Amino acid sequence: MKKYQLNKKQLPSFIDHLKKQGTVFAPHKKGDASYSFAKVVESDSVILEYNRTLNSIKKYFLPPRELLLSYSRKDNSYKKGTIGKEKKIFLGVHSYDMKAVLKLDYNFTEGNPEENYLLRRRNSSFIGVSFIPDEFHFSQSVGMPVHDTDGFDIYLEKNDDGYTVKIITEKGEKLIKEFNGLCDALDISSNHIQFQNKLKYNYNRLPEVFEQSWNAEVWEEVAKRCVGCGTCNLVCPTCYCFDVEDNMDLSLQNGTRDRSWDGCMLNDFAAVAGGENFRKSLADRQRHRIFRKFRYITYITGEPWCVGCGRCTAYCTAGISIVDIVNQLCDEYEQKYLNRPVEQSGLNLEGL
Amino acid sequence: MSIAISDIKTQELYSPDISEIIAIKRFTEKEKWFEIRLPEGRSLGHQPGQFVQVSLFGAGEAPISVTSSPTKEGSFELCVREVGMLTKIFHNLKVGSTIGIRGPYGKGFDVESFKGKDILIIGGGIGIVPLRSLINYVIDNRKDYGRLIILYGAKTPDELLYPDDLKLWDKSNDIEYHITVDQGTPEWKGNTGVITTLIPGLDLDLPNTITAVVGPPIMYKFVLMSLKTKRIPDKNIYLSLERRMKCGVGKCGHCQINHSYICQDGPVYHYPELKHLQEAI
Repeated sequence: MKKYQLNKKQLPSFIDHLKKQGTVFAPHKKGDASYSFAKVVESDSVILEYNRTLNSIKKYFLPPRELLLSYSRKDNSYKKGTIGKEKKIFLGVHSYDMKAVLKLDYNFTEGNPEENYLLRRRNSSFIGVSFIPDEFHFSQSVGMPVHDTDGFDIYLEKNDDGYTVKIITEKGEKLIKEFNGLCDALDISSNHIQFQNKLKYNYNRLPEVFEQSWNAEVWEEVAKRCVGCGTCNLVCPTCYCFDVEDNMDLSLQNGTRDRSWDGCMLNDFAAVAGGENFRKSLADRQRHRIFRKFRYITYITGEPWCVGCGRCTAYCTAGISIVDIVNQLCDEYEQKYLNRPVEQSGLNLEGL
Repeated sequence: MSIAISDIKTQELYSPDISEIIAIKRFTEKEKWFEIRLPEGRSLGHQPGQFVQVSLFGAGEAPISVTSSPTKEGSFELCVREVGMLTKIFHNLKVGSTIGIRGPYGKGFDVESFKGKDILIIGGGIGIVPLRSLINYVIDNRKDYGRLIILYGAKTPDELLYPDDLKLWDKSNDIEYHITVDQGTPEWKGNTGVITTLIPGLDLDLPNTITAVVGPPIMYKFVLMSLKTKRIPDKNIYLSLERRMKCGVGKCGHCQINHSYICQDGPVYHYPELKHLQEAI
């Protein structure tokens, strides 16, 4: 792997260089304390040191609202929405958000590969950046170390003077070609980032816990506080459920069929015409949300579908923590099925 | 997990085929039957038990079971209960109107593996709609199957669907047909009682009988108990589930139960696959 040094003051010119090759999306400050991915207009407004963005880059492949068809009721004709094929460069992506994109790739290609997702997803390059985990991050606990470069074309690792630039793929190599602001890599070893292991069990032991967790007490407990607002679904980088709805214009002749993000925590998510609601209670819906992250898709792929970004906890309007839920499930599992406490799992950070 | 997304052939999943309504019949106050012709009279190519996404611009889309047999060519049939806005608009359409069709989707009844077996049909309410596709398929391939036993239950005599078919099934020497209503009327001469009351009296060749059950969610629990009492092995039972669906192609998440998407792995399930899935029944 080729390595270079990018000094801090060269960062804007590096971004300018990227902008010549495609539309660049990167984190920007949003309000006083938040960050958000946005199209880069001014290279010096990009912020690469941030804890988390409000939404992940999922929004660029599965937009919050998207036109599927526009139709005319006069003759019942329609045409498909168009999807741009511009080259996109995502700069400053954290490893867990990259992993989430790889998981969405599975969801949107498995069975019926979806054109809308794939057309947006293709022609994308990813430049990762290291981060300092805060109190909500737990991606290490679900098998994704800070420096995990899976999916990235280039990885930027913060050091005192700027960034160590690691070229991961050929695509990454092309992105830095003809950029003369890079120096030889400094002789420093990889930053060892301390990551507190937040889940009680190692993630590969969670399937055995979840196998016994259907009737756990925690669902009712959480439901007492949960207000069913769906924020956790909205901010989750691996939630991909959507609604499809027709919207008419004022002429009542023409309209659009739009899809928009939906959330399994919302009351009518599993309701059908005729009055039946297959997941009426908040406890059922919380269980469904958590099981989708740790059991259902995991059962098929062997991977947790939670990437440990901490968003659902950080932004929960009722103070519910996914880490606490999983740890309570581990506790209940121990008490009911093991009758003995299990030692805190020690993840081997060196090996990852 | 890393998928080479540039190598994958994409599918256009959300574009309906504009199709024509060529016949309409009203069955009851709530249910109407529609015959639909796809562009160029193309055949739908479905299995009994599969569904289509019906698309009405301005109202949206809804999953509707196909009620005709794949042996019928040139058109297919839907039977629709009016329960919401989309189905109400559907009911108001006239012959010659066009609607959008996507599909067929999901898995239907595995009619190949049923060959040589006796077929026991248990339909409650509009559950008879997808089952009629299977019934007609068996009738059209009569020599491939053993006995055809139909149990059909509705709430009242007024709610019975397919009056012409019912007469045909009743008259046929080749079909064992039993019907019941939960609440009779003074004119009603047939059985009264829930559908499970028809099960104990059946004389079945147990290992050789395939049971296909479709009905409202509440019905499954009781029918499955009766079938157990009757000693029908689980491996001979198939049933079909209803859920909210938006896409029909395993993406939107609404129909998911456990790791299974009903629009992909169902709506027809082999009961042993479903038995251990919480939330299914």
